[in-house]
Amino acid sequence: MSNEAAAAEAKPKDIQIDPRGYRFGASLTLVISIIALVLGANAAGVITMGILALLFLPGATIGPQKTLQSWVFRKAIRPRIGPPSETESFRPPRFAQQMGLGFALLAVIFGALGSAPGFYIFTGFVVVASFLNSVLGFCLGCEIYLLLKRATTRAA
Amino acid sequence: MLIRLLAIAVLLGLATLAYRWWQGRQGKVRRVERPGALTPLTLGAARGPHATFVQFSTPMCAKCPPTALLLQRVAAEQPGVGHIEIDAAERLDLARELGIMRTPTTLILDSDGVVVARMDGAPSEAQAREALAAVPPPTEYAI
Repeated sequence: MSNEAAAAEAKPKDIQIDPRGYRFGASLTLVISIIALVLGANAAGVITMGILALLFLPGATIGPQKTLQSWVFRKAIRPRIGPPSETESFRPPRFAQQMGLGFALLAVIFGALGSAPGFYIFTGFVVVASFLNSVLGFCLGCEIYLLLKRATTRAA
Repeated sequence: MLIRLLAIAVLLGLATLAYRWWQGRQGKVRRVERPGALTPLTLGAARGPHATFVQFSTPMCAKCPPTALLLQRVAAEQPGVGHIEIDAAERLDLARELGIMRTPTTLILDSDGVVVARMDGAPSEAQAREALAAVPPPTEYAI
């Protein structure tokens, strides 16, 4: 199946989610990735990033509404703050979770291979991206998506 | 330990500065001089008789749906203004030709389909009106 056909098939199934949920998830990501940076490029840091990668996995494959973070948000936080004033498509945050998963895995791989710079660079990416998302409400993945698409698809 | 915490603080400070700079450019109206018109065939939709907002979006863009609503609202304020939304990821040919780097990016076409202004990033209502004002007023015909 061509990419276009797959995209067309996936399109009608949009799920609207509470944007505060994935911002909460991003703040957890921020805390965990900062802990990994402070622990450093050793077994403890690598294991921390490994746990983070596992937390990203459901969000990157199914969607951000299926993560442990969003479950915590639904059970513990949303009952206190009420329903959202607006909802958003699940696709941008899912793409962000895929990028997060990729960077976290790269940090784990470089860390496990003993490359400290690689571990710090990719963990640093996760820190910056989750900081922009959780604290400033800025979706880095949203901005990068088109550039990535332009770079990876050859002109017809 | 202290050095690492300091490095993290510097990293987040730089990220904040970069964010501020980027947000400052968001939705800014730029006049464009570009020869040639965008035809309804190229756009895949009919243009407004007076002016047209051509909004480039992607499915991964959280700000695109609210921007579409905002532009439709501003377009409805005066007669003859249309709004077309194009998926830039599907129309990479157009995105490349027109230098679309981020979404939403909105082009403003005059009555002939010539690009007169553009806004990169999500605009405010005031910015959308300012962009629309770049289109020369329609010529009066005496019948």
